[in-house]
Amino acid sequence: MNVKKLVTSVLAMCAVSTIVISGVQSQIASNVKQVGEKQKDSAESEFVYIPSVAGQVPERIDSATPGLMAAEPLEDIPEDVMAILDSLPSDKGDFIKSGKGEGVVKKDILFELLISASPSEAEGYVDTVMSIYDKMEFKKGRDIEAIALNKSSPDFNSWRLKRPQSMNPDREDGPISLGRYLGGGNSGIPTFANAPVALTAEDLIAGEVDVAILGAPLDMGSGWRDAINGPKAMRMLRRGTGGTDVSTMINPTSVLNIVDYGDVAIDQLSTERSVQEVRSMVREIAETGAIPIIIGGDHSLEYPNVAAIADVYGKGKVSVVHFDAHLDTGRGRVHLLSHGQPIYRLMKEAHVRPENFIQVGLRAHYSKSYYEWEKEIGMKYHTMAEVERRGWDDVMDRVIKEATENTEYLYVSFDVDVLDPAFQPGTGTPVSGGLTMREAIPIVRRLCAETKLVGFDIVELAPALDSSYVSALNANSLMFACMTGIAMHKEEITEKGFISELSSEHGQDDYYGEGR
Amino acid sequence: MRFAHYIYNKRTLLITSAFTLTLISAYASATYNPFENSVSTSMTNADALPPIENDKLSLLTPQELSFLRNPTQLKWFGLSEEKVFTQLAMRDAVSVKQYVSEMLAVYNAAKFQPGQDQASAVNNGILEPLSIVADAPEIPLNTDAAGYNKRTIIQPSVFDKYKRSPGPISLKRYVHEQGGIPTFANAPVAIRVEDLTAGMVEVAFVGVPLALGSGWRDSQHAPTVLRGMYGLGGYDIAGGVDPALVLNIADFGNVATAYLSPELNIEHIREQIGEMIKANTVPFIVGGDHSIMYPTVAAMSDNYGASNVSVVHLDAHYNGERGLDHYFSDKQSVSRLLQDKLIMGKHLIQVGLRGPSQDKEALQWLRTQGINYHTMVEVQQSGWDKVVAIAIKQAKTTSKTFISFDMSVLDPAYAPGAGRPVPGGLSILQAQTLVRRLCAETEIIGFEMLDLAPYLDISYKTALNANHIMHACLTGIAMRKSGITKSNHLDPLALSQ
Repeated sequence: MNVKKLVTSVLAMCAVSTIVISGVQSQIASNVKQVGEKQKDSAESEFVYIPSVAGQVPERIDSATPGLMAAEPLEDIPEDVMAILDSLPSDKGDFIKSGKGEGVVKKDILFELLISASPSEAEGYVDTVMSIYDKMEFKKGRDIEAIALNKSSPDFNSWRLKRPQSMNPDREDGPISLGRYLGGGNSGIPTFANAPVALTAEDLIAGEVDVAILGAPLDMGSGWRDAINGPKAMRMLRRGTGGTDVSTMINPTSVLNIVDYGDVAIDQLSTERSVQEVRSMVREIAETGAIPIIIGGDHSLEYPNVAAIADVYGKGKVSVVHFDAHLDTGRGRVHLLSHGQPIYRLMKEAHVRPENFIQVGLRAHYSKSYYEWEKEIGMKYHTMAEVERRGWDDVMDRVIKEATENTEYLYVSFDVDVLDPAFQPGTGTPVSGGLTMREAIPIVRRLCAETKLVGFDIVELAPALDSSYVSALNANSLMFACMTGIAMHKEEITEKGFISELSSEHGQDDYYGEGR
Repeated sequence: MRFAHYIYNKRTLLITSAFTLTLISAYASATYNPFENSVSTSMTNADALPPIENDKLSLLTPQELSFLRNPTQLKWFGLSEEKVFTQLAMRDAVSVKQYVSEMLAVYNAAKFQPGQDQASAVNNGILEPLSIVADAPEIPLNTDAAGYNKRTIIQPSVFDKYKRSPGPISLKRYVHEQGGIPTFANAPVAIRVEDLTAGMVEVAFVGVPLALGSGWRDSQHAPTVLRGMYGLGGYDIAGGVDPALVLNIADFGNVATAYLSPELNIEHIREQIGEMIKANTVPFIVGGDHSIMYPTVAAMSDNYGASNVSVVHLDAHYNGERGLDHYFSDKQSVSRLLQDKLIMGKHLIQVGLRGPSQDKEALQWLRTQGINYHTMVEVQQSGWDKVVAIAIKQAKTTSKTFISFDMSVLDPAYAPGAGRPVPGGLSILQAQTLVRRLCAETEIIGFEMLDLAPYLDISYKTALNANHIMHACLTGIAMRKSGITKSNHLDPLALSQ
């Protein structure tokens, strides 16, 4: 990497930055300082960090494609091999020297073959490498660029057409209560958090809804699949979402107007086709001022969810805390989106600045290059290695600090596989060594209480993998923890790490020496 | 008043039916296409309609009235005329107008709208390629992806680090090894087509781990689970043979699959199964969901000719839906094969159909296509032996047979781990009998075991039964190779004297 060149471009970038939008100037100033500091050890770390600008595609977003080696010219080609290569037509010899063939066959194997081959055999080997290489890369006219759909289908749009509300009996706008009895209790119809149902944005507005919970049953994960049944499992379990939270003595259901906003339409044969509709539905909720809670579904959903939030609250104006065992920064793949790629796409389209992406609980087996790239573009990752080194409480405090330092608004994306499989066997790509519920509950509650939360999702719950109730109960409990936080925020309890005096201390003596 | 209203209705129907026909022909591009969902033109007898207040319909346009009288369009909303009249009875004219016009507007929005793909994907100067895909007639792919086609490219053996002669490799260390590296039927492994050819492999198992079905999606784990389960080896008491001794069997590994779309898999599966056929093997394909039936049968047709191949399709589902927005999925393998002339309707034999997707319209369509279908109703009515005999007879109208076996054909008691289970299915014994007999009494060119969802079954049952079904076919093939092809042969030793 050419450090000098990078430094120059950083300086140029800073010069540009100073004349950008006045609102972000103080932020940029602090970033410039950071750049100065980073430059000092750049020789050591090789990274020069260029701050991104809200609403603009980050400068270095495509600086590297982790996991894939870029072709570099072969060095130290033995003389006898070099003689063979030079004897070939120049395009063939040059191709091998360019290192491109490494993607087809390792040079050691090829050189061994070349040395013992006749001239015509040698050329044949190189031809084979070149023809495989040619097949590997996209070629216009030969390879398809898009998946064709049946435009003449009478039901082309049917999957996402909404049922006219006039098909129901006349009713005033507002949430529909499904209960029958004065005594309350559960209605027989399973809904998220046993909440009433809202079908339209008008219902949300009329009901002054604070939280609208939307099911998004997208089921195209790379591991075990059953995220399609995540929303159903959380609705049907009916436990863990009601009553008073012991830590705060807050009852979110009585503080907040909560509704079940039904499910968003999904094309189960295409993630790409589904996300436009998801984004539009999440935006519909956010535009009313309600906080959308999206229940997946796989983690591809983070893209339309957060893009919708950025549509409403501004590009680069929202930080995201991403709980996950996985980095989800994948890119350079044939499909533009999958549950391994939402973060890249959000940053690539400037919905969220890399600096405002905070990942927690990472531990799946990603190579160094993934972390190096995250460092380079300014992302904030917190792996289980950091938890092992620093302890959970310190990591939690750091995450909460980072979640509030750059932006006014926060979105929390919670992939249930951040939890240890002991707590969450029902997920498609589980990884051992994760968070406990006692670690997850307080951080979720605090993030939802101590920031201006504008959206929350729980994704990757795959109930078929858990023959018990545990996975659904824990997912419901995390949703409850966040709703508790939202209720605290509404009640203006935003003291850091607030715990109820009443519920955490019987006060019959002075055991802790804090006075009675 | 009421009488007058009847007259009105009758007159309206006459006018609207003509109008509806015009609509329909415009809709179906002037020719009736049996592959599009048929649009019923039948009109309900006006006299059957309950009397309603004349003026409730007074605000409706001719199109809206026509919509109200079209059972197919009403069914699209889950409505019948009776249900609509219940609604009309509760409403005044203004409300009726809103009710009908909004439904009609939604109905009309179902098909691709000219211009709906014209929106720009550039927002504030930034390309957001996914922001318009739901409106677009195609799903864009990332052509900048490094190694765009890498997934399906096969590394030639000449570049192997350690060279070996072609042929199947046994992964067993001991002569009588149990367990060890799991392979189908504990068979040796063939990595490339030249291994199949050199080993003169007659039956090669291959996994196609693609789970994009319309039910529970876990069939991508079926190949692994069936490799790890016993039941594919040893002597068959009914057939009187041990297929592993009679046949050269290999495990050909898995075909590469792309997990985000069925469409991207069709070509490669078709090509790979074709390669197996060209190597003179009978492919035993372990899916994967039933969308795989399209490329597998296509490969059979490519290599043997569509008119020479009978397909016996054991499934609770007919998989013949038409007019869907995606070109490929489990629900439409059969209709696509017919449409692309890769199979002839009269050479398709379906056994075990049941469940709500096999409605009148579906069954009518099967009849129109000349498909030989045998529902569970028929099995109950005629008895299994008769259905087996007819199915074999029908299969024999061509020289070659391909079996497409969906786990849902078995009753959930035998196969709880099926992606699209439906109660009231075959017993394992019934299925084994049909499969063994087909494989002995006709020339089998391929077999596929589809839509097994292991995680739905915490027991070993589904996997064991799937392997025993495949073993029944191996037995049949081995019997045939041993010269036993007569109808319903049972080994005498298995029967008391």
